[in-house]
Amino acid sequence: MTPVSEKRGRLARISFGALILLLYVFLLAPLAAIMLASFTGGELMRVPPQGLSLRWFVAFFQRQDLVDALLMSLRVALVTSVVTSIVGMMAALCSQALSRRLAVVFQISMTLPLLVPELLTSIGLLFFLYQIGLAKTFIGLQIGHILIAFPYAYVSIVAALRQIDPAMEEASGSLGATALDTFRRILLPLAAPGIVMGAVFAFITSFDLYTISLLLKPVGGNTLPLALFDFLTYEFRPTAAAAATLSILLSALGVALIQKIVGLQRAF
Amino acid sequence: MTDARKWQLLLGIPAVLLLFVFLIMPLAGMVEMSFRTAGSNAPYGDGFTAVHYARVLGDGFYMATLLRSLVTAAIVTLLCLIVSYPLAWHLSTARGGKALFLYACIASPLMTGVLVRNFGWMIVVAIDGPLNASLMGLGFISRPLRVMFTQGLVIMALVHVFIPFMVLPINNALRNINPALSEASLSLGASRLSTFFRVTLPLSFPGIQPGVILVFVLSVAAYVTPALLGGQMVNLMPTLIIRELTGTFAWPFGSTLAIVMSIATLSIVVAFSLLTARLMERVRA
Repeated sequence: MTPVSEKRGRLARISFGALILLLYVFLLAPLAAIMLASFTGGELMRVPPQGLSLRWFVAFFQRQDLVDALLMSLRVALVTSVVTSIVGMMAALCSQALSRRLAVVFQISMTLPLLVPELLTSIGLLFFLYQIGLAKTFIGLQIGHILIAFPYAYVSIVAALRQIDPAMEEASGSLGATALDTFRRILLPLAAPGIVMGAVFAFITSFDLYTISLLLKPVGGNTLPLALFDFLTYEFRPTAAAAATLSILLSALGVALIQKIVGLQRAF
Repeated sequence: MTDARKWQLLLGIPAVLLLFVFLIMPLAGMVEMSFRTAGSNAPYGDGFTAVHYARVLGDGFYMATLLRSLVTAAIVTLLCLIVSYPLAWHLSTARGGKALFLYACIASPLMTGVLVRNFGWMIVVAIDGPLNASLMGLGFISRPLRVMFTQGLVIMALVHVFIPFMVLPINNALRNINPALSEASLSLGASRLSTFFRVTLPLSFPGIQPGVILVFVLSVAAYVTPALLGGQMVNLMPTLIIRELTGTFAWPFGSTLAIVMSIATLSIVVAFSLLTARLMERVRA
């Protein structure tokens, strides 16, 4: 290589590096801004924070409406995660028994709630729940969350089952174990990381849903994202940043859990 | 088929019921709703009519809003592709612990809600926020920019929301390219730039196509971002639809708006897929 082209190559590498850095700053800026603003000691939600304190987290937990919303979000997300894991596990076992061509159709059908925009699903469900008398009820909201979070659980479990060597199952069967025994003692332990990952994804997805909760929310009930939106519209105070920081920490906990159990590269 | 296998098939019933009863039937119900007459005391009436479609298609306001939504989504998709490609390329070349760290950076926004991420921009772009402070510090502007409640902010926040949806498929496609191909191109005397445009870029198309379709579809129907960051100033289809449904309780008319929006989106996706089908075939060959 000539010295000139070597110099140009280095310049290109440095500017590409700077571009990548800038893009990561863009990607993480809003999350960083929220977390910084939530620890401010001052009255205003701004970055850089004026002094550090936890007063806005205290303020958050003193607001009964926000705490109620947080508890409701956690409860809905927990039920969603349990139900989608069970139904997802059953569906994943079913997909194994299908012929190859049917399995492809089944796979696409199971991920439909991901492919249809949340707005359309929410509108359809709003009408449907009204017609069967479940409009504005807690159970209606719960159904909506389960539906949208279902593909996350299903996809993770299917991927985990696919990793299992079929010879294991056959060996277990030929040694005289019943189908239920094989499931309980071979499949379940081997698929456990995938099931946990799916449950975490489903939990976080449900915890963060906004549009469907807006349309299906029960009378007198609010989820945390709904309460946060209203709070931001009427009072732009650091309490909101504290609430958002709590939900970011929850997600970070989920990501850390997935990384520990399965590794991120396999997860995405 | 063995008995055990038959039992295994039955395990799919709850999932199929869940999707059929609570997704397929409601979507069909939404189509039916769009042909209902408006109700006087209820959200919808008993009769059937096509008058809502005539109203949406004949009114310049709704057509202009639809066009604005589609153009906004196209801009978001294009910007998202431009921003995501270098990120995906960089990610695809990383290995080991560095790759893991970068995955976490790309995926963690995906794991936090859209509302939280949009709210972060409110702090960043505030009049006395860090963006204005650094732009003024660097001497680019002399007075703070007011970006809250503008279309530009909505577009930027949507690009931010959808970056992971674009980066991850492109990263997968890039990882599947045989490195020998670009090495061959380089050793045959092609420059780095022409190697990129004639070898790497076309071969990464299997990742670009699904990314573009996904981001476009999700952008058109995105509600939270324009509602929070655009306020009353940025009128897009989703905000209009929600207003019809929850504000005035005009369910048939709201459904019609949603269906017209979906049909327009779907037509564009089909046209895009057909136009790019030849490119996909060439890549596969």
